[in-house]
Amino acid sequence: MLELYILLALLALGFFVGQYLEKQHYRSINARESELVDLVTTSSKHPFGDIPVIIDRRLVQGSVVVSVDYFKRMLAALRNFFGGNVRAYETLVDRARREAVLRLKESCPDAKQIINLRIETSSIFKGAKDQIGSVEVLAYATALYY
Amino acid sequence: MKYHAALPEHNDNVSDGHPLKEFLLLLGAAAGLLIALYLVLGFFVDYAVDYVSPETEVRIFAAAGMLWEPGGGPDTEQQQQSLQTLIDQLAICLDTAYPITLRIAESEQVNAFAVPGGTVVLNSGLLDKVRSENGVAFVLAHELAHFQNRDHLRSLGRSIVLLAMLAVLTGADADLSRVLAPISDYENAQFSQDRESAADATALRALNCHYGHVGGATELFEVIATPDDDFDFALTHYFSSHPEARQRVDDLRQLSESLGFDRANNVELRVP
Repeated sequence: MLELYILLALLALGFFVGQYLEKQHYRSINARESELVDLVTTSSKHPFGDIPVIIDRRLVQGSVVVSVDYFKRMLAALRNFFGGNVRAYETLVDRARREAVLRLKESCPDAKQIINLRIETSSIFKGAKDQIGSVEVLAYATALYY
Repeated sequence: MKYHAALPEHNDNVSDGHPLKEFLLLLGAAAGLLIALYLVLGFFVDYAVDYVSPETEVRIFAAAGMLWEPGGGPDTEQQQQSLQTLIDQLAICLDTAYPITLRIAESEQVNAFAVPGGTVVLNSGLLDKVRSENGVAFVLAHELAHFQNRDHLRSLGRSIVLLAMLAVLTGADADLSRVLAPISDYENAQFSQDRESAADATALRALNCHYGHVGGATELFEVIATPDDDFDFALTHYFSSHPEARQRVDDLRQLSESLGFDRANNVELRVP
């Protein structure tokens, strides 16, 4: 019986706190993306448009680790059972990707253009039993100064 | 080509829908599947139990009763012998096809149970609480009724089915089985409650057959129903395999009246 109460408490905690934090995060992401939207960022190998002489180029990177909450974990486990979109994890990796790119951009506020943007994802605790899973997203690119 | 800086209008990387709704839907589907499977397998268990004769059962589970080897001093031994005589007499009333062995276990818990193979285990805690011989006789007759209905085998079979099902359905995901386990517990408890009520009714008849009246039948439940047990949360009621004690007292009274059994005063306790 006690186990059931603990379980319900964990689920409720995961749901309410997790949803709250996720909303906050999305609010912050949206605001910062609007702020940084004018910084030209492409995945192209070459600079975009006519540019003057490049005075500096740097490797820049941004990375983030986001953890799932208990509720999301249960939801995904039930999803594994029936199949379909694992929505619980979609928001997780979406947030992680966007946050990583934002951090990358914030790391070079004076850059004129960011090219060759790459994003890599890895899961932490992969294969570890009874562990809450986390995802790491690393974004790296070349910042051009001119 | 011109670079046009803009944010996407809609986030296509996240599916629509509320996570809580999704959770409840999936949990409901999993629970439904589990219950349906359990009901079907339950029928198979009942079917199989009919093919296990009491003799086969005794042979298979001979070792199970040994877990409760008689212990304690000569007092317990004497008590055990007189209770054995009592249970044998009740077995004649019920026409039980088993050689029943009675064991007294040293335990504070007020409980008695039927072990596959023909052993009835009575906790010493129960003997401390139930003072009259009639009260004890009702408990013994109740366990005998479980043997007669093969309830102990059915519940054993169902437990195995449940464990196997949870293990297969959820694989190595221990957390998911923690979510689903209460649902299966609820199912099992509902099944047991019906069985317990049926055993109560049979026990009442046995008591009337042995003593000519049904005095003392409700003694154990009246002891259990005392308020010091009421601290627990209300939710436990649905998961309890024994219908609430007060309800059982009422049911037994109603049944005694409808069958015209005499609810006489208890005779003096003969067992020390």
